[in-house]
Amino acid sequence: MSRRGRRTPWFAIAIAAVGFAFITLPLVGLIQQVSWGSLVDDLRTPEARAALRLSLVCSVWAAALAMAFGVPLAWVLARVEFRGRAVARALVLLPLVVPPVVGGVGLFYAFGRNGLIGQYLWDWFGIQLTFSTAGVVMAETFVALPFVVITVEAALRGMDRRYEEAATTLGARRSTVFRRVTVPLIAPGLVAGAALAWARALGEFGATITFAGNIQGRTQTTPLAVYLLLESKPEIAIGLSIVLLTVCVAVLAVLRDRWLGAG
Amino acid sequence: MRRTVVTGLTVVFAVFVAGLVATGCGSDSGSTSGSSASTTKASEVTGAITVSAAASLTEAFAEIGEDFQQANPEASATFNFGSSGTLATQIQQGAPADSFAPADEANIDELVTAGLIAGEPTVFARNRLVIVTKPGNPEQVTDLSDLADLGVVSLCGLEVPCGKYADQILTTAAVTIPTERITRGQDVKTTLGAVSTGDADAAIVYVTDAESAGNSVETVTIPDAQNVTAIYPIGVIAASTNQPTTRAFIDFVTGPKGQATMRSFGFLPPD
Repeated sequence: MSRRGRRTPWFAIAIAAVGFAFITLPLVGLIQQVSWGSLVDDLRTPEARAALRLSLVCSVWAAALAMAFGVPLAWVLARVEFRGRAVARALVLLPLVVPPVVGGVGLFYAFGRNGLIGQYLWDWFGIQLTFSTAGVVMAETFVALPFVVITVEAALRGMDRRYEEAATTLGARRSTVFRRVTVPLIAPGLVAGAALAWARALGEFGATITFAGNIQGRTQTTPLAVYLLLESKPEIAIGLSIVLLTVCVAVLAVLRDRWLGAG
Repeated sequence: MRRTVVTGLTVVFAVFVAGLVATGCGSDSGSTSGSSASTTKASEVTGAITVSAAASLTEAFAEIGEDFQQANPEASATFNFGSSGTLATQIQQGAPADSFAPADEANIDELVTAGLIAGEPTVFARNRLVIVTKPGNPEQVTDLSDLADLGVVSLCGLEVPCGKYADQILTTAAVTIPTERITRGQDVKTTLGAVSTGDADAAIVYVTDAESAGNSVETVTIPDAQNVTAIYPIGVIAASTNQPTTRAFIDFVTGPKGQATMRSFGFLPPD
């Protein structure tokens, strides 16, 4: 029995190897296209610099907003009992599976100049979110928010609530309990949520180009620049791709070592 | 629990497939609509060809495709519409196309030089460009110089023919629109869409696209002295395995019926 159980399942390993190759070969293909000698110069071109700067600013804003709204949302979903909670959770997580382009179309009909809310913003205050950097942040927040909710809610559900109860019994106020007990306990979840949200925001394409358009220096983030420069200036597009790839690998590496438990 | 999840997913998938069949995307679709019925079975329909064509040809070629099929019941043409540059790149990388119809001569000349086109391309239509605005022209655009003062102007990407043409036109008219107010579309349809369904204030597109858009935009003419003429060539891809049908299609496009259709969509005659 034990010999049989320990025998190498070569068949599963062979299929796993194919799966592994399928995921990694595109990365290898991308890396071998990089012209390393001119990489720095390619990334210093005006269009590359504008895209990288915009991506950095917008993704940090989006991650911050996703945390600001996502943590309370996760807390409500984890701790407050109410009717329709399962439906509410499903709706909040929808951007994980909805095609981002569809999300962008939805954002347009909600916040565009004729949208549900956008028409009042435009008529009353002259605020136009489409084709603006704020629009990019909104599109990125839309796709990044569920990552915060799903990660932080799991952390809240997984923590030992007796510590909170003990603190309350000892006379701590609710806000103190949250700040001094809950937050430290779910810190790994908070960091993981923020990092995943940031990485997702950085890579956002579909919702951004649909809702915020493609204006160099204003709404043309790095993924948009990659897509549009691929024909005319492939070396810049590939250089930018490598930057995005490196950042994503770094985020995963950091998360894996510190928070997700190395395998 | 797990069982109900699997059952649920099966139901969702079944409904999705049923929807596809009901809407005619299944294999038994009566392929009357040219562009949408792209999955023709090569074993049954002899003489199916694929035409890679500029996005601005979408409506005209869809109709010509239907007429071509009616005139030649044994043959059929399906289309791959996109920006001329993207299509040229696809063909260079071996995309299975039989014919190529870009919106400028540069893109087909590139393929001719690379030996990817059989014989000489034929010019079959010309086009002009116009300014389009929101219906009613709320920003009161009357000429190209007004574009410099608008919130957001939508232009085609500079690697796309309509983007090059728009650039030429603005240069001729000595109008400079600040970069931070230009949004670039991947092809002429997305560029127009930024005005017709989006929040951009104006766009420069082909006359024909403005006509197809109907009431969703208002047209402002660009004077001849500032305008350019877009030239549409069509050629046979050297690697095509069905060159007789491809030539028949090109003859149909340049023939009286095809030309009448091109005119009805606002295209100008080739010379």
